[in-house]
Amino acid sequence: MTLSPSTKTVAEPEATIAAPRHLGDIGERFGLVALVVVVWLLFAVLPESSAAFTSAANVQAILANTPVVSIIAIAAIFPLICGHFDFSVGATAVASSVVCAAVQSQGAPLVLAIVAAVVAGGLVGLVNAVLVARFHLNAFVVTIGMATLIPGLVQWYTGGVDITSGIDQSLRDFGSLQWLGVPRGIWLLVVVAGVCWFVLSQTPLGRRLYAVGINPSAARLVGIRVDRTVFISFLASGTLAGLAGVILTARNGGGLVGSGTDLLFPALTAVFLGATAITPGRYNVLGVIIGVVFVAVSVSGLRLSGAADWVPAVFNGAALIIAVALSTFLSRRSKTE
Amino acid sequence: MTVPDARVREISLLVSGARKSYNGTPALRGVDLAVARGTIHALAGGNGSGKSTLIKLLAAVESADDGTVEVDGAAEQLHRLTPSGSHGLGLRFVHQNPGIFDDLTVAENFGLTLGFPRRLAGIRWSRLNKRVAENLERFEVDARPTQRAGDLRPATKTMVAIARALSDPDDADAASHRVLVLDEPTASLPSHEVDILLEALRRRADAGQTILYVSHRLGELRSLASDITVLRDGLVVAARPLAALSEHEIVELMAGEPLEEFYPVVPQRSGVEQPALSVAGLSTGPLLDVELTVRRGEILGVAGLLGSGRSTLLRSLFGDAPAEAIVEVGGEPVERWSLEEAMSRGVGFIPEDRGQDALFATMSVRENSTIANLPAFVAGGRLRRRKELSEYESQAGKLRIKSASPELPITALSGGNQQKVVLTRWLQRSPGTILLDEPTQGVDAMARAEIYSELRTIAANGTAVVIASSDFEELSNLCDRVVVLRDGRIVAELAHAEASIPALVSHCYASQEGRP
Repeated sequence: MTLSPSTKTVAEPEATIAAPRHLGDIGERFGLVALVVVVWLLFAVLPESSAAFTSAANVQAILANTPVVSIIAIAAIFPLICGHFDFSVGATAVASSVVCAAVQSQGAPLVLAIVAAVVAGGLVGLVNAVLVARFHLNAFVVTIGMATLIPGLVQWYTGGVDITSGIDQSLRDFGSLQWLGVPRGIWLLVVVAGVCWFVLSQTPLGRRLYAVGINPSAARLVGIRVDRTVFISFLASGTLAGLAGVILTARNGGGLVGSGTDLLFPALTAVFLGATAITPGRYNVLGVIIGVVFVAVSVSGLRLSGAADWVPAVFNGAALIIAVALSTFLSRRSKTE
Repeated sequence: MTVPDARVREISLLVSGARKSYNGTPALRGVDLAVARGTIHALAGGNGSGKSTLIKLLAAVESADDGTVEVDGAAEQLHRLTPSGSHGLGLRFVHQNPGIFDDLTVAENFGLTLGFPRRLAGIRWSRLNKRVAENLERFEVDARPTQRAGDLRPATKTMVAIARALSDPDDADAASHRVLVLDEPTASLPSHEVDILLEALRRRADAGQTILYVSHRLGELRSLASDITVLRDGLVVAARPLAALSEHEIVELMAGEPLEEFYPVVPQRSGVEQPALSVAGLSTGPLLDVELTVRRGEILGVAGLLGSGRSTLLRSLFGDAPAEAIVEVGGEPVERWSLEEAMSRGVGFIPEDRGQDALFATMSVRENSTIANLPAFVAGGRLRRRKELSEYESQAGKLRIKSASPELPITALSGGNQQKVVLTRWLQRSPGTILLDEPTQGVDAMARAEIYSELRTIAANGTAVVIASSDFEELSNLCDRVVVLRDGRIVAELAHAEASIPALVSHCYASQEGRP
């Protein structure tokens, strides 16, 4: 892995920028991790929140809520990497959760319910994929449309009533119990995140997804099938959101009627925050999870320190805007340097 | 404000002892530059020579460590220079991208930088138009104030930018006291537009305009400038009248070592050669029933003016333009020619617009190099970074790519090195045919020579190379054979010996002299 020694060292200004950036690089990569630690310490020390915040119960609660938002956020980065927004992931997760509950309340076995929920998510992804990759409609608009339409369908199907009957006990346990001292959902998250990390950073498909997002026209001219790649990204997004729906059912002990925006926005905040970490300027799985933890820790700390009801909302919104600003700034810089 | 000492020629711009380091690495190590009034002065140098750094110091985009600048006797310390100070001294800059907005009118483009004449809350359009019309006339620009800038020909757009840079609302004769710095003004212009622009610049110089002209294109510098300053590694290696230097000598000065030939020797052809890629009955876009065969081991040039179908021809050969045509690869007919089919049969393509169609700006040099060949680096289901690196480095060594690290973003490299990285994409696939559209645009002279030599090497190993170019000199010196496209048809096919620059020009422009 050494540089070829034959390369002449000429006084090139661009060559000299790279070396001293190393320390800054590390700061950039792990800045978000450091920020999580700082926020954690802050609430741990703060007298208003310290007792409750550091309690095992609170830590478990933070961890237990992480998988759903994390997987929704991971779902959203697939299309984002290709250069397309997907605002439908929150609503898709809610719909899948309701499907999962509804199938069980009809008396069907759990396995069938899980498959149905994931397939339902995949179907939403398929519709998005066809509209965006096949008909070249604007993904921003299409997925906002889906995010509005799907909760409407859920409302119609359920009559606005949560489905909580007939939920398999093992699914409830999955949502509320632990393995090896960690909420069970976390283990599923580890598997999902591992697979997605592998696909995105270690396979040709992942490289092609990034290439399409960075320059679709150049991607086509090196033989990448751009439409097919975008199609896959939306299919993956919907399927993952469907899987998140299953965990949501497990957490809630049923299918709760909702719009999914309470899931979408923390997820998006985490996505954009995550793009500032680990591989700065790029959407990446590890960064996303750190982003989710950051949002979860902050919101929990704010609640426990007795902040007024409006504070978490303001915090979430501000964090989202700052995250977008940071990730835009970083990718712009890595483009021009 | 004249300089007291008696010089033979009056010096308009004088830079002395310019120094600049980036993090301890010197980019300029005491550069002097003297530009005589009313002349065009060429500034040349390879990558990292400090040429662009010097321009940035003059424009005060970056601050110098040391040195002075003097315009018409008014001096300023370079490290104290501000952008407005540079403007105040009389320095005016027009860059490769002239900063003209296509959707605005010519007058509006002027107004953006010079301000709009106002009345109460409104703009006095009639006064603006009148003022702009006067300026356009003074600088002999073929444009009207109310014309949409996007409708102007590229050379005229650049002239509008020049007129805008030189015009002064208060002083009509100020231009002669200004120094116009042109930074690669022709890098993105097609060849006939370059000629128009150069002609216009010559007229400006005859009218007494002082111009500092930065370009990679040595032919251009020679036809335009009277003096040249050559930089290498942050030092001036030559400053003398241009007539005293041949193009070859300039390249050697830039390289700092004797160069073999700038263009590799074109070998004697043996006669019968096997076809690599051929197309018949190709009609699409501007192309009408084109028939063309590229043979193994040759470099085939495609000449033609803008709109002649040059780029469309290359894209069609790459299966990227929808076309009805009969395509054969290695003498074997292929049904349904497509981009995927072309790639799988060993055809590669380098598009004309590097930034738009070839570079993945935020990806690393390594990732940009391997993107067309990903399956080759997979082992056990994973992309192996180490394999990618070793492939990239073997290519980079051959093409002498200068990059501090293969993990830098591609945009950190100079244009020439970027183009070499794009070239490695296809070279590592050992292409049967490689198609290059304007491969040396925005590429400095040394990198060009290295690219030419590599293309000749792969041709000698049996690859068919097709080059579409607006640079007649390049086609004439590099190619075994040149076809000329005019109005979508191949109107001439010239062997290397016949493909002189005048012959190419006359075929492209369809001169009335009744050539065969």
